[in-house]
Amino acid sequence: MPSFIEKNHFLLRRLHSLTGIVPIGVFLIAHLLTNSSIIWGGGALREGFDGAPFKDRGVAYFQEEVAWINTQVPHLLLIEVTLWVSLAFHAILGVYYARSGSANTDRYPYQGNWRYRVQRLSGYLGFLFIFYHVATLRWGWTFLIPGGTEWSFRYSASTLAAALHGSTTGLTTVGVVVSLFYFAGVSLLVFHFANGLWTAAITWGLTISKAAQRRWGYVCAGLGAALMLMAWMSLFGALAVKHDDARRIESQLHHKAAGLAPKAAEIADTN
Amino acid sequence: MAQHRVIVVGGGLAGLAASARIAEAGLPVDLFSVVPVKRSHSVCAQGGINACNEVARQQGYSEYEHFDETIYGGDFLADQHPVLEMANWAPRIIDLLDRMGVPFNRTSEGYRDLRLFGGSLFKRTHFSGATTGQQLIYALDEQVRRYESEGQVTKHEFWEFLWPVIEDTAQGQRCVGIVAQDMRTMQVRAFRADAVVMATGGCGLVFGKSTNSIICTGAAAARCFRAGVWYANPEMIQVHPTAIPGADKLRLMSESARGEGGRVWVPRKKGDNRPPRDIPEGERYYFLEERFPAYGNIVPRDIATREIFGICVNDGLGVNGENQVYLDLTHKDPEYLTKKLGGILEIYEKFVGVDPRFEPMKIFPAVHYSMGGLWTSFTKGSYNPETPRTKHKSGTRPPILAEVGQGMQLGALNNAQTNITGLYAFGEVSFAYHGANRLGANALLSCIFDGLFCGVSVANYVRDGAPAKAPAGDLASAGYDRVVAQEQQKVKRWVDSASAGAAEPRTNPYVIGKELGDEMTAACTVVRHQTRLAQCAGKLAELRERHDSATLADGASWSNQALGYARALSDMLVLAEAIAKGATERKESRGAHYRTDFPERDDANFMKTTLAKHQGGTTSLEFIPIDASLILPTARTYGKKDDKATPKPAMAASAS
Amino acid sequence: MSATASSSTHSRPVARPEAKPGRTVRFRVKRCDGPGKPVRWETFAVKPEPGANIISCLQQIAASPVTVDGQKTTPVAWDSGCLEEVCGACTMVINGKTRQSCSCLIDEYAPNEGDEITLEPMSKFPVVRDLWVDRARLFDALKRVKAWVPIDGTYSLGAGPRESAEKSESRYVMSTCMSCGCCLEACPQYQLEENPDKWPASFIGAHAMNQARLFNEHATGAVLKGARLDTLMGEGGVNDCGNAQNCVQVCPKHIPLTESIATIGRSVTIHAIAKWFRG
Ligand SMILES: Cc1cc2nc3c(=O)[nH]c(=O)nc-3n(C[C@H](O)[C@H](O)[C@H](O)COP(=O)(O)OP(=O)(O)OC[C@H]3O[C@@H](n4cnc5c(N)ncnc54)[C@H](O)[C@@H]3O)c2cc1C
Ligand code: SF4
Ligand code: SF4
Ligand code: FES
Repeated sequence: MPSFIEKNHFLLRRLHSLTGIVPIGVFLIAHLLTNSSIIWGGGALREGFDGAPFKDRGVAYFQEEVAWINTQVPHLLLIEVTLWVSLAFHAILGVYYARSGSANTDRYPYQGNWRYRVQRLSGYLGFLFIFYHVATLRWGWTFLIPGGTEWSFRYSASTLAAALHGSTTGLTTVGVVVSLFYFAGVSLLVFHFANGLWTAAITWGLTISKAAQRRWGYVCAGLGAALMLMAWMSLFGALAVKHDDARRIESQLHHKAAGLAPKAAEIADTN
Repeated sequence: MAQHRVIVVGGGLAGLAASARIAEAGLPVDLFSVVPVKRSHSVCAQGGINACNEVARQQGYSEYEHFDETIYGGDFLADQHPVLEMANWAPRIIDLLDRMGVPFNRTSEGYRDLRLFGGSLFKRTHFSGATTGQQLIYALDEQVRRYESEGQVTKHEFWEFLWPVIEDTAQGQRCVGIVAQDMRTMQVRAFRADAVVMATGGCGLVFGKSTNSIICTGAAAARCFRAGVWYANPEMIQVHPTAIPGADKLRLMSESARGEGGRVWVPRKKGDNRPPRDIPEGERYYFLEERFPAYGNIVPRDIATREIFGICVNDGLGVNGENQVYLDLTHKDPEYLTKKLGGILEIYEKFVGVDPRFEPMKIFPAVHYSMGGLWTSFTKGSYNPETPRTKHKSGTRPPILAEVGQGMQLGALNNAQTNITGLYAFGEVSFAYHGANRLGANALLSCIFDGLFCGVSVANYVRDGAPAKAPAGDLASAGYDRVVAQEQQKVKRWVDSASAGAAEPRTNPYVIGKELGDEMTAACTVVRHQTRLAQCAGKLAELRERHDSATLADGASWSNQALGYARALSDMLVLAEAIAKGATERKESRGAHYRTDFPERDDANFMKTTLAKHQGGTTSLEFIPIDASLILPTARTYGKKDDKATPKPAMAASAS
Repeated sequence: MSATASSSTHSRPVARPEAKPGRTVRFRVKRCDGPGKPVRWETFAVKPEPGANIISCLQQIAASPVTVDGQKTTPVAWDSGCLEEVCGACTMVINGKTRQSCSCLIDEYAPNEGDEITLEPMSKFPVVRDLWVDRARLFDALKRVKAWVPIDGTYSLGAGPRESAEKSESRYVMSTCMSCGCCLEACPQYQLEENPDKWPASFIGAHAMNQARLFNEHATGAVLKGARLDTLMGEGGVNDCGNAQNCVQVCPKHIPLTESIATIGRSVTIHAIAKWFRG
């Protein structure tokens, strides 16, 4: 392995940098955009939910988005596999590279040095989080979910809320732990992405002068702040959702879909 | 037959230039330096490097005038032909450095910028900010690194030169290698070489605190001297007028500060202790400008130094009653100053804590450079007028146009060779070129010139001289073993003396070293006098005796720096004696050597090289004639007006 | 550039804090007699002269090497040269941070009676003895990036390429690197490596990337640009930089190291693409 890494050093390094942005970063943006719709979707008008409270409309919007992705997006499996390969690549190389450094923020507590350190830390923790997140919610490793609820894209908001709450009835202690883990995980990942975007511009030689690096820094910080906001919106939005309420809205949607879109109804029935 | 090799001792400008040139000639070079060559003392040089240039030429300047200035500046003590050759080569050297990528300051059109420097009315000093020496040595270091990566140069860094290996042959004495010690492992061993170039720099540490680096002990030169190499003009020690007093070092404030318009002054009234900016123009005494209307603040160093010394010590006009005067740049645009002098202004700010762009600096003279050094010979070049000419009138047509070989014959085997065949001396360690006083920005030139021009001589000697028939690699090892044994004996003497903790002051090398510095500074710098010199001789004898029984606080056989210092001190004491002896015997005043009891120059008796020889532990002196066949001596006044004449604020800078 | 810019924009400096004259300062020194020897700490008391710096205090200690407990010991070994922050020799770790010791003024670091200053050798280079380290790897890196202008020889061939003032000023700043190693000591990506065989694959450090840029930007030096970039593309090259940017914070010469790193990053990107198409 090392000799392979040595031989293709440049390619691997740059692929490492690239995969962080495309597809992982791009997916992150899309993912957070969708997930945060659990809140901002409330502002959008939903057929049949015009009079419903803000919260319900968000859940409905979210459910429709998620269902759309899981049913209408072509080659979903291919996308998922690509993501996984990229992520594994990014993570394995990242760990390999991070091991070559040794943090020294105790002696040189500069902001840049802290970011360097947190970048590596967020890489480790972020990967752990992603694994947990996907294993539990996508692969259905329910034994890792305290409440034991399985996530389903047909009941996206309700099952998500249950997973975060640790039960279908309300927030439990384990639920608090899981939620905190989510909070840390998403925050670190967003940082990792924004900061990685900033350093990538240096690595690729896009930003050279101090001023350019500063300006790009503002852009990355802005993007990071927006993503962070979305991440927190998603998390708090999902936490605010009551399992039973969401389940009711989702069922309502399914019934409606059964009449309007036969394909979706089929899926609804087989599930 | 064994392969030829050349040893270069010293990786400053001179040693690096020599290494590059000799390696280029196809000879493998072993380069020795006590410090990584990139850290050699040459990095300290600030102001610049002189050379005739097109702009000055069109204003009437010439290589010949550069030569004339150097001879005049050196108060007619230098052998003249080598100086002519050096001045002629100067423009080529600048071009070469330019090709090597030295970031010389540039004009807006992209040509090399120039500044004014001491002893000239023309701008002929090329510079790289205020860290010219650093930039030059880096350029040469890079070239030598290139040869190193090709295997043509082998560096021996942290190796200290201990002694030359000299063979007695039918044709006289011949140098065939050196003995050196790795100052990390303490291994002592001999290295064979067909020629040895000494490029070990100056000896400022003999005076304790100076503007020099901590490694400038002069020990290497002294060791050659003790081994039989002649030492010339030891008494010619340059004291630089403007340095920052400090606890461990007197940091230089380059002449370029004055070249760029810096003005030296003191309050006109004794005891005027107002802050400098509160003292109105009329109450400031710009004594250099008033006394030397033509050159003003850029009179040569010996003169500026004596004036400052006189103002403080004799007239008691020093700032706040102390030995210091103002060097003032505050009338210049801070932006401009940063661009031209950033490096040195930063030094002042860093070590004094005051920004010289806004506050006049306080400075005082400090030991700076040794014009004296190992004696070297040369072969005269093609320019040999029937009678010497009178001093060149500045800005007029030169009698000759520069050509290679007018001053020295290129490639002659004896150029820059000491009295020992095969042993050469380049750079500050040589006595050539600067006579009794060096002009600012001529040292860097002489170092590189030696390396490039006389390097050819070294290569020729190896190929055509004694080594051609008898390469050092084929010689018997007995001669080498003997010197190794001698040096191991010295190491043993020091190691055996060691016991942890401080020695008592009497036998503590560091205390002896400090006393040596204090004594030499008091007796052998700006002003000298028979009685004080006699006292100095006594003190030196006492110090030598004490040093003989000195002890160390460290007996380690690994990286023992205390041993290195104590051993060097033995050699510095020998050099100090030669300096003091020269100062005593030269009963006249010339250039940097000023005797209050003999204030006049005496050409009849002393327009001669002081030649010191060391044999059987004693130093003897003689005065030998110089080559003065090109320019007739004249009084060296720099147009000084009779003292305390009417004040005239005109500055030399604006006069050109 | 940053050096000139930063110093020209500031106005008068603020006066330094008054240091107590005649005070005693303690020096805690990390000592080691040589490679493989145990490390020990010794404390010395020194009365600094006015304007004293670390070197002048170490000189005092050398003249009388006795610890605060009255223990007689050997003088501390250290490296120095110019004493004016231009040769880079005297770099060490002072109070936990890397810097030159000659320009480290005691009045600033220890203005009061009994103040303590900690001295350690640089940690990224093998210790020779006490505070003296061997920075051979740093110079080796300069060979790896061919930090020179490949001139035809030392014979007279006329002037070098003409250069704008702006260009030469920016090269000048890069060229003031004194190989002190601060940028390497503070870099979290740069590790101690005693085995020279491993140097080529270990991170080369900011100083070498800056030197590569310096010569890439010289008209003649650019001839070797490809070779330099080949080196910097590989293991231990620019890609190993983690962009912590400590290097630029600690560089005593205010060299815009991160700009140099980014420039090399760009050159390497272009170089790689060009190479890929060229084959
Ligand atoms: C502060 C300052 C500013 C100056 N500014 C200028 C200026 O602007 N213009 C100008 O023209 N001149 C200037 N000079 C003078 C000029 O810098 C020196 O004369 C010149 O650099 C000497 O170069 P060198 O090669 O002869 O010796 P150095 O640069 O002193 O090098 C000596 C070499 O010898 C080695 N060495 C010494 N002893 C031993 C030993 N025993 N064993 C092994 N190696 C040894 C050292 O390691 C070093 O590599 C200045 C001098 C000072 C002090
Ligand atoms: S920016 Fe790169 S070279 Fe500089 S300290 Fe960080 S990792 Fe090291
Ligand atoms: S880049 Fe700066 S910190 Fe690094 S070695 Fe050069 S001068 Fe020192
Ligand atoms: S001694 Fe040269 S940088 Fe400190």
